[in-house]
Amino acid sequence: MRRMWAICSKELQSYFFSPTSYFAIAVYVLLSSVMFYVSFVVYQPSILDYRLILGDTLFMLLIVIPLLTMRLMSEELRQGTDELLLTSPVTATEIVLGKYLASLGLLIVLVLCNLIYPLVMSFFGPLNMTLLWLSALGVFLMGAAMMAVGLFASSLSQHQMVAAVIGFVLLLVLWLMDSFLSGAPSSNLQQWLAPFSLSGRIVNLVKGVLHGPDILYYITLAALFLVLSIQVVERKRWR
Amino acid sequence: MLQVQQVSKYFDQRRSVDGIDFEMQRGEIVGFLGPNGAGKTTTMRMITGYLRPTSGQIWIDGLPMHEPSRRARTKIGYLPETPPLYPDMTVNSYLRFVADLRDVPARQQKLRISEMIDRLGLHGRERQIIRSLSKGYKQRLGLAQAIIHQPDLLILDEPTSGLDPNQILEIRQLIRELGEQHTVLLSTHILPEVSTLCSRVLIINDGRIVMDGNANQLDQSLNEKFQVLLEVKTRPDKLHRLLDGWQGVTTEYLSSAEDEQQIQSIQLRLQGTDDTDFRERLSLLLADARVPILELRKERLSLEDVFVKLTTDNDPEDVTDSASLAHTGIKKVADDEHSSTLPEKEDDAR
Repeated sequence: MRRMWAICSKELQSYFFSPTSYFAIAVYVLLSSVMFYVSFVVYQPSILDYRLILGDTLFMLLIVIPLLTMRLMSEELRQGTDELLLTSPVTATEIVLGKYLASLGLLIVLVLCNLIYPLVMSFFGPLNMTLLWLSALGVFLMGAAMMAVGLFASSLSQHQMVAAVIGFVLLLVLWLMDSFLSGAPSSNLQQWLAPFSLSGRIVNLVKGVLHGPDILYYITLAALFLVLSIQVVERKRWR
Repeated sequence: MLQVQQVSKYFDQRRSVDGIDFEMQRGEIVGFLGPNGAGKTTTMRMITGYLRPTSGQIWIDGLPMHEPSRRARTKIGYLPETPPLYPDMTVNSYLRFVADLRDVPARQQKLRISEMIDRLGLHGRERQIIRSLSKGYKQRLGLAQAIIHQPDLLILDEPTSGLDPNQILEIRQLIRELGEQHTVLLSTHILPEVSTLCSRVLIINDGRIVMDGNANQLDQSLNEKFQVLLEVKTRPDKLHRLLDGWQGVTTEYLSSAEDEQQIQSIQLRLQGTDDTDFRERLSLLLADARVPILELRKERLSLEDVFVKLTTDNDPEDVTDSASLAHTGIKKVADDEHSSTLPEKEDDAR
């Protein structure tokens, strides 16, 4: 347990010192504030609701999350510090979970950044607080699943950019799973695949509904990719 | 302490390490020599558990390293070729991180870290970012990382590569000190390092151990014919008369004479027919003829020569037949008769 925390706090430290994480968060805040400006100031909606901008910010996670996870494993491989980790008594599970926890820490920062907008809104009238916290939790859960995908991508390559691209492509495939096949003749397949799509889950999220199956989906997705990452790390020994 | 039994490693279809077999006793400092690509790093990576052998077994203090074993990994300290440092961390936070990874109890961590700082001369650099450390300090920090948990077995992969001569001396001194408490296996291709540091040498070539023996005896074992280097001041024709055909000794003139009648200093190398020392007789011969000796030196095969002889394939003048090695207790493992030499090796180990 202590070893896992050591890895987690080391990762949080390097997030803190790395320009990439500031850059990624800055891009996220910048883009989402433009979205917020467009949908709130330009269109001037008649109701005050956080959920209006939720869909857009979630889409941005698609770009920001691979940027935040890309260095998690690949930097260890490039620096040769994986030799330290894999020859110490740390298990692959502890390595992966430690790093994943750190990425969740960063996700919390992202979700908090996203709460600036409801804060601004609150100056113009009352917000439904339950709804607000529920959607924030929804964003967090979805982001957590995406972080696991990014971490897995990072364990595949020692080049950060390659890891970022793999992560982005994986997330995009998951995101567009249902719309990929919209033109396909067999709608059976589409129906079968639809539940696995990330974007399909947004519908509920944007409604402000935290659905049981959705939560299960996020957790399963995260667990699946964490297990895959652990396997990849453990397999390094078998090269 | 360490037992490596018939360990092989294949990468895809390429053989990197082929049936390596050796043991290390507690307290030994063993030098692991070999040309680049001979399989040194791969072997070390298998011993440290970074790679799994394709076949064979590795035991560390009776614990298996060839299968997933956390406990075996607590016994080793490892300094890879490039020290595994995080450039963004400070020296102190890095050591604390490693202490956590290596299961150093929380109460002892402060003490151990300050001990490491003391021992490796990292004073005043505790708060420095690792990126800004010089190469020598990075190497020291790499060593600190390897010994912070007081491992029984210390594996060092080319610990002095890329350092300047002063730093090399410092690191060697450190390794010598470490050798008093730990069992050390160090790889290098700097040969003098082995003669100064190690009590025993393993030479590996093309994935196989070609020699296993005492560092000081290596050169003697291969120096089959007695050789001296001689410098005298005389007329070349006189020297020819004296030495040509003298007791079967072959002469090789190293300096060329311009005038055969002129007295001049002449350098030559003399090689006897076997390993008998003919220096005494030679000096008396020259003294009787009133030829002044400027220099008379016994030529020893350097470790370099031994190394080159053992690691160049199919040398027709390979002098290292097992008979000449037997009396020095050095085992040369023949490439083609690998399995047949094994029983003999086991006897020696006991």
